[in-house]
Amino acid sequence: MVPLATRNLLAEKGRFAMSIAGVAFAVLLVLVVVSLYRGWSDVGRFYERLPGDLWLSQPATSDPYHSSSFIPIAEGKLAAQVEGVGSVIPIYTRHIAFDRGGTTLDVFTMGIDAKSGPYALQAGQIDIDRVLARDAGVGVGDRLDLLGRSFRVVRVHSGGNSIFQTAFLSAADARELIGLSGRVSFFLVGLKPRADAAVVSQRLRDALPGLEVHTSREFADRFASRVNAGFLAVVGVLVGIGFVVGGAVIALTTYTATVERSREFGVLKAIGASGRFLYGIVLRQSLVVGAAGAALGVAASAAVANLVKRDVPEFITVLTLRDAVAVFVLALVTAVVASYVPVRRIERIDPAEVFRP
Amino acid sequence: MTSGTLLRAERLTKVFGSGHTAVRAVDGVDVAVAAGELVLIIGPSGSGKTTLLSMLGGLLRPTEGRITIGGVEITAVPRRELTRIRRESIGFVFQTFNLLESLDALENVEIALNVAGVKGGEAERRARALLVDAGLEARLRFRATKLSGGERQRVAIARALANEPHLLLADEPTANLDSRHGLEVMRVLRDLATRRDKAAVVVSHDPRLEEIADRVLQLEDGHIAPEHALPSIRKRGEGRPAG
Repeated sequence: MVPLATRNLLAEKGRFAMSIAGVAFAVLLVLVVVSLYRGWSDVGRFYERLPGDLWLSQPATSDPYHSSSFIPIAEGKLAAQVEGVGSVIPIYTRHIAFDRGGTTLDVFTMGIDAKSGPYALQAGQIDIDRVLARDAGVGVGDRLDLLGRSFRVVRVHSGGNSIFQTAFLSAADARELIGLSGRVSFFLVGLKPRADAAVVSQRLRDALPGLEVHTSREFADRFASRVNAGFLAVVGVLVGIGFVVGGAVIALTTYTATVERSREFGVLKAIGASGRFLYGIVLRQSLVVGAAGAALGVAASAAVANLVKRDVPEFITVLTLRDAVAVFVLALVTAVVASYVPVRRIERIDPAEVFRP
Repeated sequence: MTSGTLLRAERLTKVFGSGHTAVRAVDGVDVAVAAGELVLIIGPSGSGKTTLLSMLGGLLRPTEGRITIGGVEITAVPRRELTRIRRESIGFVFQTFNLLESLDALENVEIALNVAGVKGGEAERRARALLVDAGLEARLRFRATKLSGGERQRVAIARALANEPHLLLADEPTANLDSRHGLEVMRVLRDLATRRDKAAVVVSHDPRLEEIADRVLQLEDGHIAPEHALPSIRKRGEGRPAG
């Protein structure tokens, strides 16, 4: 089969390149927005990385970041007696705003009363995320003042973003910053090996009827749903704009290539080319532009996502293979839809015109 | 009409516009062309030659009259069927060659075969044979824009013959060629009618084409003037090889 579609496109290399760049830019826009959205949605996943499986909280708690909770510390002892419970770790949380060089910074502090592991900090130590470290201008070994107390930065962990920065303190320091004696924010419950989370959850509810039991995943999902509620509409609009722009670029390119070669399409009609044959040429033109642009866009998105991750940590980007494939396929679907405009143009070409000099 | 008539047009009329602005571009024309016959249609600009050719080729629906090609009344078939008839039974040669500029000579012929569903190696082999036959073996991979006028017209003729049509319609085939290339094309057209038994209708201003035509029809204001045979034609026709 003569590759007329690609020959027509390559006949105007500059325009072809610009069309691919236009589609690639639209795909880049879509994927960057989607990957940012994924990044935001995944912020709450950090709950699942903490050393426990179930959380005990006051009723009507969304998740530790979005809700306050104060539980009598004695409830922890009752929880520890429930069958299937391996550990009960008191958690202290608080949002703290502090001044740093004339700028007010916010941090979500968390004290985890762990006996060992990365969250078992000594009094006066603080473990902050990368974004907070950059915004506060501190690194490991530097000091950071919170509520009149000075903490030494002992670790800078990955994560953090433009609205959600975390710091881990020792349980004693966190308790002091909360300022309430005899209460904790949450209990993080670890299960014994082979214990069933659902069964233990029910036992905890039965034993502690005044508290709520949540899984770490539930907290993470609620955090994600909060992000969705705030961002999904915006993301949808931006993704929509991206596809409209991409579709318009493809339609315009294919339409222009068709209009410029109207006479040639007329010749093909005159010599007996069927509508299917002609539409196939237009469709291939659209798909070539769409596929090349989408491939370039996906590659550029991966590069941008890596650069953002490295250089702009407050923008969390999570580019998944599934999203990349979905956007690529949607770009091809857009290309098919975009070919409708030039196809209509072909339908109007009068083959008798080819006899006119 | 002879039993070998391939193309027959009866009372062919084309009216453009309506009411007091209506123009009868072609008015009650009868044409019959037999296989192996080359008919030349001459006439001044605006006499309706191109309109007539477009109707004969199934590109334009007549306002009145009927056209049959190989016994099939093309004025009565639906558009899709008409497309198939153009693809399989009619070869077109245009004044401006109308080659596809982004393709080379071989591909320009190959695409006509693709249109008819012949693809891959078979299409390339047949296209190559036609171009070799047209003396363009050394130009197969030349883009259309890199060929001379005569070469382009020979590619266009090869394209017109790709699907082995019974009828060849040529519109001013020598108009954009110098005398040498014009002569080449004339010989090719004559040869096609004679050796390949094609019916050919050629519309032209070029008086040299009268030398190769079996019959010359004069079109004036949409009417065919009384047919006149030229002595040179009769003489050439008498010496024409059989078959």
